[in-house]
Amino acid sequence: MNGFNSVIIGTAILAAGIFVLFTILVLRRFLSERNKAKRDRRATAITRSYLQRVSGQRVEDQTDWSRRIRLDAIRRILPLLRGGERKRLLQIAELDGVLAQTIRNSHSLYGAERINAIHLLQRFGSEVCIARLRQLMAHDKSLRVRLEAAFALGANGALPPPRETLRILHALDRAPTRLDVALLRATAPLYPEQMVLLLEDDLPGDWRARIIDALGWSGDMSMIELLAGFAVNPESEIRCAALRAAGKLGHPAAAKWIVRSFADPVAAVRLQAIAAAVELGLREALPELQRLRGDGELWVRLRAEQALDRLDSDDAAGSAITDSPSQQGVIG
Amino acid sequence: MNWLELQTAAADAIVWIAYACFIIVALRNVISLAQLLVAAWVFATRVKPGEGARDLWNRYADLAMPITVIAPAYNEELSIVQSVKALLALEYPEHEVIVVNDGSKDDTLGQLVRSFGMEETSRTQIAELQQTRIRATYRSRRYPNLLVVDKENGRKADAANAGIGFARTPLVCVIDADSIIEPDGLLRAAEPFMYDDGRLIAVGGAIRIANGCTIKGGSLQKIGISKSLVPRFQTVEYLRAFLMNRVANAHTNTLMLISGAFGLFRRSTLVEMGGYRHDTVGEDLELVVRMHRHMRDREREYRMAFVPDIVCWTEAPAALDGLDNQRKRWQQGALETLQCHRGMIFNPRYGRIGMLAMPQIVLEDIIGPPAELLGYLVLPAAALLGLLDPMMALAFFFVSVVFGCVLSLGTLALEEQQLRRTPTATDLVRIGIAAVIENFGYRQINLWYRLQGIRRFMKKDSTWAAVPRVGFGKG
Repeated sequence: MNGFNSVIIGTAILAAGIFVLFTILVLRRFLSERNKAKRDRRATAITRSYLQRVSGQRVEDQTDWSRRIRLDAIRRILPLLRGGERKRLLQIAELDGVLAQTIRNSHSLYGAERINAIHLLQRFGSEVCIARLRQLMAHDKSLRVRLEAAFALGANGALPPPRETLRILHALDRAPTRLDVALLRATAPLYPEQMVLLLEDDLPGDWRARIIDALGWSGDMSMIELLAGFAVNPESEIRCAALRAAGKLGHPAAAKWIVRSFADPVAAVRLQAIAAAVELGLREALPELQRLRGDGELWVRLRAEQALDRLDSDDAAGSAITDSPSQQGVIG
Repeated sequence: MNWLELQTAAADAIVWIAYACFIIVALRNVISLAQLLVAAWVFATRVKPGEGARDLWNRYADLAMPITVIAPAYNEELSIVQSVKALLALEYPEHEVIVVNDGSKDDTLGQLVRSFGMEETSRTQIAELQQTRIRATYRSRRYPNLLVVDKENGRKADAANAGIGFARTPLVCVIDADSIIEPDGLLRAAEPFMYDDGRLIAVGGAIRIANGCTIKGGSLQKIGISKSLVPRFQTVEYLRAFLMNRVANAHTNTLMLISGAFGLFRRSTLVEMGGYRHDTVGEDLELVVRMHRHMRDREREYRMAFVPDIVCWTEAPAALDGLDNQRKRWQQGALETLQCHRGMIFNPRYGRIGMLAMPQIVLEDIIGPPAELLGYLVLPAAALLGLLDPMMALAFFFVSVVFGCVLSLGTLALEEQQLRRTPTATDLVRIGIAAVIENFGYRQINLWYRLQGIRRFMKKDSTWAAVPRVGFGKG
């Protein structure tokens, strides 16, 4: 047998293999379509059964429902329930062991598989899920997996204190990403005091700025005073973060130093000041914004123009509401 | 040299040509097979996209980087309003739509002005990247995130450059005005930027053929398969290109093409590079190759990503009549790009781009098409003349045609296993049949178009023939 024979036979075997694989996939799809009605009926029955159990009714348990199809049904029902009903459904799901496979997947050798499991655990957010997510965040060997677990905990309001979060994620040894920023912002409403205490540590500049930024998401208006101090920090990145946070908090007490920041020598700070002024709807900033239309930096001029447009249109919308007969009726 | 010697020399030449054709075609297919295996590995080990990701984005919507969608439009009066409505309705926390009317001869501008209540405005252009004059800019009172730029006619590259110059967001998404973007296409494409450490400069996404789909109001209502064979063949080609080549190339950091129908870029990088080039018909390929060159010349760390989930649908030529122009243009564009950046080929300074990706383009676009077409003629002829072992001619048939079927069916199997966007089992069979029979005729016709593209390149023919479209739902 010469080389060409080998090429022909090899290609033919490969072609036959692919053809068989494709045929199997077509058959799988065909059977899936043929059984659709049956599957839909079963899904309806499972959904009804779970809803009855949530409402406290006694139902006959169907043992031929696999954990996987039960899980699919619960995933569909879960977003529709709130409060006690949701909690009860999660308890029933745990009793039925529907998350067993997901928990097993969260121990997989493959990082992607563990992350897929994390996404599901995040959506359920039951006690067992939170416990497993905490384990993953604390002990997983992959940083990406730890970060995803932290995110899932953040989404369920179950993150550990910020110092612990940053330590587990080895955050301070690397540059912050947008996900880190999101994580800090999710932590801020849970632990505003610890965030402030964290600022007393010796932190890299970019991380300090991100933590200050996150204070804006704490919803704690007492932070304004602290932010005012950071607004005069020698580092421009810190001043930017303080302005961003103030804009997010939206407290009028920040107005004075936001307007003062329009004269900052660093363009990025002036840009943040403009954004904060828009967030607060600061009418007293209008003369300064007019002045910034002649700023030396193109981006500052553009943003000032945009801010003036926004404040003007907000005014127009405001006066339109005030002028409308129904509103006059209410006010009058 | 006597007649006998001449005959011997000719026979030797034929044998050498036959061997060369065989090796080139086999090499192309071996590379494609490797790409298919890499793609299968990437799909098998990737984090599944899904509701989780969307939940995340909803929760942290304020972290999604603002995007400007740039839609160059030329003579699109019939569809522009629906297209723009669909763009404005995209699921994304903060996006602006810039429609660039590229000197349309029909009522494209009038339609936009009337339908969206546009008023003339004086928007400052941050970077003047276009070569033609901007006539006016219009802003909508009703849709604050819509801007229309009216300019003199250039080409798509010039219109896209004008739009990039007006964009104020960190990311820009350049599309074709008739592209149908998936409602969450922007979100999916922008997701890699969430995990980015500042190195990511561009993201491409998978594009599918919209022929046979139900399109209403500029958005996709129902996925379907075209009744004609030519669009079906192209469906297979697009699957191969996006699910096999791009996924594998992005995984090995050698992504060389982000389709002109949908590409997400960091605005600052585009502006720094001067935007798209105006003097090539393959501006999308040229841009990405130049991006690699630009970043590597400056020794900057960078990354380009590819999202294998469908982000966009596009109408393909419904008959061979329109396909020929498209394929000639693609071939010509590839050759222009290679000529322009020939210094990168086998240049170790450009790392894997210079040593692997650029030679691969040479193999695919310069040597490959003529070699395969020549092989179809030379190998059987040589075998009939007794110059070659007939088994070699048969082996050539296997490595070109049968191997082609293997790659197409393999990609289709990958799609079915991972994405499952083919509507029904019957449609899957239809595309499967197309994947086999495209190797008997369509593939060879395409090679012929590519040879004509090479001829156009040699003649420096810069005429632009529009690809005729039949409209969505008719192909």
